[in-house]
Amino acid sequence: MRARSQATSTFLPLCLCLSVSLSVFGLGHLAAEASGGRANALLDGSVLNDVWIHINAKDWADLHTNYRDDTYYPVDFEWQDVKLRNSGIRVRGNTTRNNHKPSFRIDFNRYVDGQDLFGLKAIVLNNSWHDPSMLHDDLSMLLFRTIGIPAPRQAHVRLYVGANREYAGVYVVSEEVSKTFLVDHFGEDNGYLYEYHRQDGDNYGFQDPGPDLGWYIPRFGPKTHETDSVAALYMPVRNLVEAVNDAPQSNLESALSDVLDVNTFITELAVQNFLSQTDGLVGGVGMNNFYLYRFANKRLSLLIPWDQDNSFDSMSMPPSWNVTTNVLGAKIWNEPKYRNAYLNRLLDIADLVSSGWFGQEASRQYEQIREAAYIDPLTPYTRDQFDQANAYVQQFARERPDVVRQLVRSVAPEVFSGRSRIQSLRAR
Amino acid sequence: MLHEGFVMRSLTACSVVGALAIGGVASPAAAQVRTSLLKLDFHVKSQMDMRDFPTEPGIDSKDLFDLHRARVGIDGTMWKRFDYQIESELHDPTQPWRDVYVDARVVRALEVRAGQFKIPFGLDQLTGGMDLDFNYRSLAGTYLAPGRDVGVMLHGRLIKDVVRYQAGVFRQGGDNVRSSERRDPQTDRTFAGRVVVRPWSGSKAHGMLRTLSAGMAFTSGELPEGPNSLRGKTVPGDKFFDHLYVNGRRSRVGAEFQWRPASFGLQGEVMRARDQRLGQGIENDNLPDVMADGWYISGTWLATGERKKDSVEPQRPFLRRGIGAVELAGRVEQLHSSSAGGVPTAFVSPRSSWIAPRTDTVWTAGVNWYLNNYFKLQANIIREQRLLNGGAIPGQHDVWSRTLRLQFGF
Repeated sequence: MRARSQATSTFLPLCLCLSVSLSVFGLGHLAAEASGGRANALLDGSVLNDVWIHINAKDWADLHTNYRDDTYYPVDFEWQDVKLRNSGIRVRGNTTRNNHKPSFRIDFNRYVDGQDLFGLKAIVLNNSWHDPSMLHDDLSMLLFRTIGIPAPRQAHVRLYVGANREYAGVYVVSEEVSKTFLVDHFGEDNGYLYEYHRQDGDNYGFQDPGPDLGWYIPRFGPKTHETDSVAALYMPVRNLVEAVNDAPQSNLESALSDVLDVNTFITELAVQNFLSQTDGLVGGVGMNNFYLYRFANKRLSLLIPWDQDNSFDSMSMPPSWNVTTNVLGAKIWNEPKYRNAYLNRLLDIADLVSSGWFGQEASRQYEQIREAAYIDPLTPYTRDQFDQANAYVQQFARERPDVVRQLVRSVAPEVFSGRSRIQSLRAR
Repeated sequence: MLHEGFVMRSLTACSVVGALAIGGVASPAAAQVRTSLLKLDFHVKSQMDMRDFPTEPGIDSKDLFDLHRARVGIDGTMWKRFDYQIESELHDPTQPWRDVYVDARVVRALEVRAGQFKIPFGLDQLTGGMDLDFNYRSLAGTYLAPGRDVGVMLHGRLIKDVVRYQAGVFRQGGDNVRSSERRDPQTDRTFAGRVVVRPWSGSKAHGMLRTLSAGMAFTSGELPEGPNSLRGKTVPGDKFFDHLYVNGRRSRVGAEFQWRPASFGLQGEVMRARDQRLGQGIENDNLPDVMADGWYISGTWLATGERKKDSVEPQRPFLRRGIGAVELAGRVEQLHSSSAGGVPTAFVSPRSSWIAPRTDTVWTAGVNWYLNNYFKLQANIIREQRLLNGGAIPGQHDVWSRTLRLQFGF
């Protein structure tokens, strides 16, 4: 917690700068502090919480047998002195879905209307299946939030299951991108929220698929206004895609001002590139792992990051990595003023991380979960793999800022030198 | 499916029109075979419905037209001691066979039936589909009674027809349960019994009471573990009871009465089905039994004066110097689910100790027009009031449906 506080105060100017940028586009509320009350105690990561899922033994077996189904099973959810009876649980996930250590979605009001956990209608328990360190997602979301991008709160928990309270390992508990999340971050929940579902073989990057609204249906699953007509749901999404494709490269901000905040998109690209995320907005298989939110009674949309397990991939990922595979990314990269903005944002993040707080947070989380992870009965990784992966995350936090600076200098020396002059003037 | 449905409807329409011509002028005596050792009757049963169900949120709208029944079959007697019946539903490819059995008459007091037929439980369920006083059976008769299964049954008439009994054992729990239960290999045998008493059956001194009968019935069988609680649906056929996890025994008890003095008909039933939930709690604990209750009471009056019986025969058929027979009918009924005991806080979770009570109360008013022995027109207006946990379900406090049925059969 202390590390996070230090980071906030040290880089207040950066966050302020981003907030100002966001407010220019009418998104001043983006930087608002998420509420949550007691839910924070589960999600702030200050302690390693224990969560107990009470579930019938047959359901637990069925859930593993039929792990590809999204069938809900009734459970009682217990945390500290809270027991939410008649909640629902189902297996979730895409490439991380498995029957050995499944990820779960727990829906508190599945069977009881209005039941919630201090405002949270549902939570997600992620299995860190592709991440032997178990930190990638949590640290990535932390960086997003620190820099002012709305992202889900996450923390580690020890999961216990069944009548005999059997230990089921370390999980990452995450708040959902849901109406509660929207209210916390934007003060409204009546806009249109979509979860993006990447389609195999798509490699989609904002290309215009044509006028057929049917193309959008499997890709943008509505999370609000689910029963609206196809036209009401998808015409605005098509308009956004068309606007991105039609916008002149030289003037993206004003051309897209009423449908997408380009500066926020640039920041999101920069965070993901800094963290070497290979499965994000410009991932190796096209855009992936995000929600799209269109504000109520506006055309303006925003991308919200989700599931950042595949970050921390390579210490040497260059700033240009995959950017031009995305229509909007290519326009940003190919236009000097937007490319410079992107590179400057990367340097901002490098400065933010190089103060050490990020590495300290990685170290703190490692210490927090180490013993629990060592005895995790279901993790596919050995202790050595866990330790090595965590050592790499900490090394990444230490060394990546300098690597990024060097990479930026090699791509755009004028950006780097201009920024150095300003910093030396500030220092004087 | 749409095409198939259209073809089926067209075929039925053609058969109805053709049959209308036959029925209007002649009886279908040609559909019979008679020899000294074999008696065989060919049967056709067709029911075409026009329905006006309300549009309800989250519920798929229903087709205006519904081919409710399209059955063909044969029945008869072999060697004077063996009755048989074979009947198939043409528009149900998943379960095409209905009654397929042989009935051996040892003596009047003892007959043995083997094959597939209705488990003896529930007066309404056991009434033939062509002889119903309303377009739809009562909800209790439809969903709480077990329906058909393969089995062996002893039945007969005792004490000059004062007592009728049926007792049988069946392979599973009937076809009126969830498909998951039917498919489950753990499903085990069901025992069933029914006794109906007609105290004044042969009495000439009590003419009005001769048709009065009362009876009781039970079933008992082993349930496969799983989300196999009894189904319960609304009048339009939408899900009303939740799937609940059950394990143990399913038992049903029911009581019935029927009285048909002259042109009037009065009957009623009450039944309860009880499913055990052994080890079905969140903590693998035993849960209170889940209960499904139902009752109805109905009355009819043949305004044209015919005697009330299962198959009403008009004294003056339509187009034969008469208008046929006209009958007025009314019914009140209820279908209810809950768990044994009960507390103020109930949930809809499939493993909750306490099940939120659900109640569907239905009022039906109808007019039946028997044109002749083969055609019947039935019009019903139906009001439902659906409650959850004692309170009206939003939008379901007053649900009105209207149905019109054209029935043809011989």
